[in-house]
Amino acid sequence: MSDMNSSTGPSSDSDYLLLAIETSCDETSVALVRNGREVLSNIISSQIETHKKFGGVVPEIASRKHVESITIIIEQALREAGVSLPDIDAVAVTQGPGLIGALLVGVVAAKSLSLALDVPLIGTHHIAGHIYANHLVGDIIYPAIALVVSGGHTEIVLLEEEGKFRIIGRTRDDAVGEAYDKVARALHFPYPGGPYVDKLAQEATEEVVLPRAWLEPDSYDFSFSGLKSAVLSEINRSRMKGESPDFSALARGFQQSVIDVVTTKAIRAAKEFGVRQMLLCGGVAANRGLRDRLSSLCEEAGLPLLIPTNKLCTDNAAMIAAAADLKYRRGQFSSLDLKAEPILSLEDWSV
Amino acid sequence: MKRYEKKSDDSSVTVLSFDTSTAAFTAAIVRDGILIDSIISFTERNHSVRILSEIKELLSRNGLQGTDLDAVAVGQGPGSYTGVRIAVTAAKTLAWAWSKPLIGVSSLEALAYGAWQGLQEANEDMAQDRDTWIIPLMDARRGQVYTSRFTTDHCGKWEAVDGDGIRLIVDWAKRIEEEATLESQVAAIWFVGETAPHQATIELAEQSGARLRIMACDMNAAAVGQLAELRFRRGERDDIHTFVPNYTQITEAEAKLLAASRGE
Repeated sequence: MSDMNSSTGPSSDSDYLLLAIETSCDETSVALVRNGREVLSNIISSQIETHKKFGGVVPEIASRKHVESITIIIEQALREAGVSLPDIDAVAVTQGPGLIGALLVGVVAAKSLSLALDVPLIGTHHIAGHIYANHLVGDIIYPAIALVVSGGHTEIVLLEEEGKFRIIGRTRDDAVGEAYDKVARALHFPYPGGPYVDKLAQEATEEVVLPRAWLEPDSYDFSFSGLKSAVLSEINRSRMKGESPDFSALARGFQQSVIDVVTTKAIRAAKEFGVRQMLLCGGVAANRGLRDRLSSLCEEAGLPLLIPTNKLCTDNAAMIAAAADLKYRRGQFSSLDLKAEPILSLEDWSV
Repeated sequence: MKRYEKKSDDSSVTVLSFDTSTAAFTAAIVRDGILIDSIISFTERNHSVRILSEIKELLSRNGLQGTDLDAVAVGQGPGSYTGVRIAVTAAKTLAWAWSKPLIGVSSLEALAYGAWQGLQEANEDMAQDRDTWIIPLMDARRGQVYTSRFTTDHCGKWEAVDGDGIRLIVDWAKRIEEEATLESQVAAIWFVGETAPHQATIELAEQSGARLRIMACDMNAAAVGQLAELRFRRGERDDIHTFVPNYTQITEAEAKLLAASRGE
């Protein structure tokens, strides 16, 4: 990318400390990570309570909240890590994709730190962060397939080697997390409703079987808007008949359909590309049903599976440090003119 | 909380100031009230791209480092929400990382103060013993302006009459005209800043009484630095962590929620 300057970087085995900032949506997060893998602190300040009353993230409010907390969270992350500003060797920040106003706060703060401390800056891709969260919990063996499932993203990414990203499938409409939140609303759960749907589906004894959107036979793409509509029309159908809809059976039907499609496609991709590892990541990776199913399918296929801890699945700055490590070790730094990008290509961000 | 070195009133004070509340990116170094160097740029719509490079350039071409500064000053708004956030975030982070005091200044006051200095230099105001009103304007769309009012004279008076707010220009201009007509101490009224979109409205507000004058001008960080230095010498400091832009209004989403809760 245009603002990446290659220069002679530090040697790969040197000890270094990275401060990372993530503000792409409604979490203000700052982490201090040593050598790209050792998390010294990972402070996450969630705005969820603020956005709950609006039924979703309000971008202008998210931006305002980031400004309110940014220096507080940076200071807290340093204190918890037991390090001070002069110890920092580089600053990483989520450059995109995300809400532009929210990204801007993190990007400007990171650039200010880079200038004030006179250390390199590393603009980092948010999805690369989600994928490399796995590097904080284990070793990644290449080639690998990453199944990225979050509120804003649903992608199957092939990593032929370290730091090389190739998207082989993506959603054509709603992201998985988005579909969960919309269905949760229809089932009268508060925002964000994904975890409630998961729990209800787990406890369900009945299942309303819902359609699976497989798309073209060879496609790794996804579509979830039809499934969401199917849930809504089931609810309407029950009401027309004067019955009360069986929410738990619907939650289970919805969850089964989602899990069936995403795991089947991920396993098929793993086989087609002959990968040696499966990586699950993104906020929806915390979903119990999804974790269980993918685990058993990978076990059947003899494929090692990595899943970050729940805290590392949701948006956090430690994962941004883990991805930025790819660039740091190659001496690929951003200029002080780094620009926040609401849409940013993952493939182009490859090392 | 950080501790700051106490400055006695007569020692030299160097301030880095900047503002991104309007279409201009502007940064300055002010020492003891005197502008040392400044940058003003309209080239980039997105102030977040160049802000730190420009600050870096400004410091380095004057042989300064963060440690040489006595304070970081910033235009706190009002103005473009995104714009104001950019300067405020940079100012908070730089002041915190350099352990320097942060001084916020109203962007409207800076606009007015810069305009007043321009008027004095041009010797545009002849009334020696009477007051001048300076009314800064920033367009806030739909016939609205961010505005305030200051009264000043040639003996160094500089006082706020009305605080920063978002107002309908048609009502605001009419009110200023009426009040000025009744106030014999006021010799001149200047609407300054982003006046172009509102020129016709201001002219229409002019009745038989007071004359409303208009001067278009851009934000200049020198005025931010000068006003900040006055605050600094009075011993005033802003708390870095809790410092936020002055948006002057709640978000649309919050306004709707409030209205709904009132059953509107």
